[in-house]
Amino acid sequence: MIKIKAKDVDVFYGKKQALFNISLDIEENQVTALIGPSGCGKSTFLRCLNRMNDVIDICSVKGEILINDFNINDKSCDVVRLREKIGMVFQKPNPFPKTLYENVSYGPTIHGMAQSKQEMDEIVETSLKKAALWEEVKDRLHEPGTGLSGGQQQRLCIARAISVRPEVILMDEPCSALDPIATAQIEELIDELKKEHTIIIVTHSMAQAARVSQNTGFFHLGQLIEHGSTDKIFKNPDNKKTQDYITGRFG
Amino acid sequence: MNLILFTFIVLLGFTSYYFGRKKAYTIQSTKKRLTALPQFYGYYLAIWCAIPAFIIFSLWAIFEPTIVKLLILSDYSNQGYLDDELNLLYEKSKALSRGQFTGEITPFIEASAEKYLSLRSIAQSSKVVIVLSAIIASVAYAYKRISSNSRTREPVEKFLNAVLFTASLAAILTTVGIVFSLIFQTIDFFKVIPLFDFVFGTHWYPAKAFVRDSSEALDPTMYSDTFGAVPIFAGTFFIAFIAMCVAIPIGLMSGIYLAEYASTKVRQYAKPLIEILAGIPTVVYGFFAALTVGPFLKELGTSMGLEVSAESALAAGGVMGIMIIPFISSLSDDVITSVPQSLRDGSYAMGATKSETIKRVIFPAALPGIVGSILLGVSRAVGETMIVVMASGLAANLTLNPLESTSTITAQIVVILIGDQAFGDPKTQAAFALGMSLFLVTLCLNIVALRVVKKYREKYE
Repeated sequence: MIKIKAKDVDVFYGKKQALFNISLDIEENQVTALIGPSGCGKSTFLRCLNRMNDVIDICSVKGEILINDFNINDKSCDVVRLREKIGMVFQKPNPFPKTLYENVSYGPTIHGMAQSKQEMDEIVETSLKKAALWEEVKDRLHEPGTGLSGGQQQRLCIARAISVRPEVILMDEPCSALDPIATAQIEELIDELKKEHTIIIVTHSMAQAARVSQNTGFFHLGQLIEHGSTDKIFKNPDNKKTQDYITGRFG
Repeated sequence: MNLILFTFIVLLGFTSYYFGRKKAYTIQSTKKRLTALPQFYGYYLAIWCAIPAFIIFSLWAIFEPTIVKLLILSDYSNQGYLDDELNLLYEKSKALSRGQFTGEITPFIEASAEKYLSLRSIAQSSKVVIVLSAIIASVAYAYKRISSNSRTREPVEKFLNAVLFTASLAAILTTVGIVFSLIFQTIDFFKVIPLFDFVFGTHWYPAKAFVRDSSEALDPTMYSDTFGAVPIFAGTFFIAFIAMCVAIPIGLMSGIYLAEYASTKVRQYAKPLIEILAGIPTVVYGFFAALTVGPFLKELGTSMGLEVSAESALAAGGVMGIMIIPFISSLSDDVITSVPQSLRDGSYAMGATKSETIKRVIFPAALPGIVGSILLGVSRAVGETMIVVMASGLAANLTLNPLESTSTITAQIVVILIGDQAFGDPKTQAAFALGMSLFLVTLCLNIVALRVVKKYREKYE
């Protein structure tokens, strides 16, 4: 089933066009990887999906992005509700300088999702468990989140993102600042999370894309060159550029 | 004369630089590798020119007057004069030699004045000779010594290090000097006025000390109830409090606006405009408070049936607050801007609005820095003088009514030290005691503020 449908998306930074005519369908409860060389626009596309480009003054987005058949670029779209449904995990772990508990309860608090302290405790516990962090931190929930290791911080950010039970999770190179062990933990987690969430991950690591994703899109110079099942893209791509990138001949 | 000599030494310095570099080039041309760039050879020689000159100049400045005095007074040393008389004689002859002496000229004075003049001219010419020969000797020695493998880079770097160190030492020593000058006078003050009376007394009336006839003996009891500092401490903190009531909300909100809401273009113009406020001399704020705000408040109060003094704490404090706005606004703007963008992104991505993000993420993250900026603002408010002197009156009322006039530590120091003062008088020393307490208060505030700011920095860098 198709969760997100992008139709002819163009993105401009001032006068410079960063994305050209992107049309891409994203399957529900699967992992879609976006790959491509640096500056090819894959992160820009990811940020279109929860309207994070609004934060950048000079950035403008054209075209339709349908999530559950609703165009999020429409004026009637409520960005607060949209971002509640579409969570995001960033390249560098960015926990708030607050306690672990406050980090995870941040989303539920601003969306008024818990009626009592007990409910909030439950949300925090479930989110941390789903992010595979609960066992490590359950005794120090009231210590600052910035005191964790890099990998733990990133899992905390994932817990923060899933605390509001989003339908989609966007991950912008979530492992690029982590060591191999932490990376493996996160990848395992992604596999687990796709049961309940649709995941789109931007990655620089071809191996990672091959390991975690079911679908892959290859971006180059602001264009979506090719997309399809990960198997096909990696074993038998239609486009020569894709072939060259996958085999490491450029990028 | 000294100026010509100094210019000449500077010229010598340039010449030695030139010769040092030239020698280095000569060495280079013989295909030998130098240990440093040719300039370093030049600097090295210039330093050898500067150091002896500096040492001899300072020694001369220290010892010349003493030696001249000893030589002049040695003529009279065995004739039964008292030390004081000799000193007076010496000062008189010095004045005569400059043509500034107006008293009766005795042959004694005339003779020693002549001797003074001749000694001075001998001293001058010998100084020139000694300095120049020392420079030439040392430069020549150094010039001969430098060769392809002599080390010139390290001494030059060390010399620079020493110069920079001396500069910072000068700043620190000045602070220490100021503190000491305060300490001794303060101690003298507390010998006459008990510390308890000063700290807990509620009556400040230094004018009472003015009426003392200087021929009267110092009687501590007559100062009881004169130097009780409570009213002026209270006044200081009260006015600072009013100022902060104005400065904190406006400064903070404009800081948040500039950092988070203003577009690049607005920020580009608004920030310098706000900072203009910081460039206005305090005396201008002073007459703005005294001649515009004060009378306006008085009229406004009268029309509402309130009794407002023309020199009210409110006028002074309010204007002082306006003066402090740019400090708080600019500093908190910097602090908020330096909160990493990733935290904002994280919050927005959770669906938080701008104000929620500011309230829940940015403000707490920036809080230590904001507190630091507020404390710096407070220490400025406490130390501000001109506005208070002009706009808040000089009578030390113990009051918490912002519509009455009150006075501050700084204003009282001004009152005490304007006009004639006698040293060693408790009235004058009171100014030192006040200065000391003010220094301690602002020092504590600054230390706390810097600590807080530093703690904040460690978190993000």
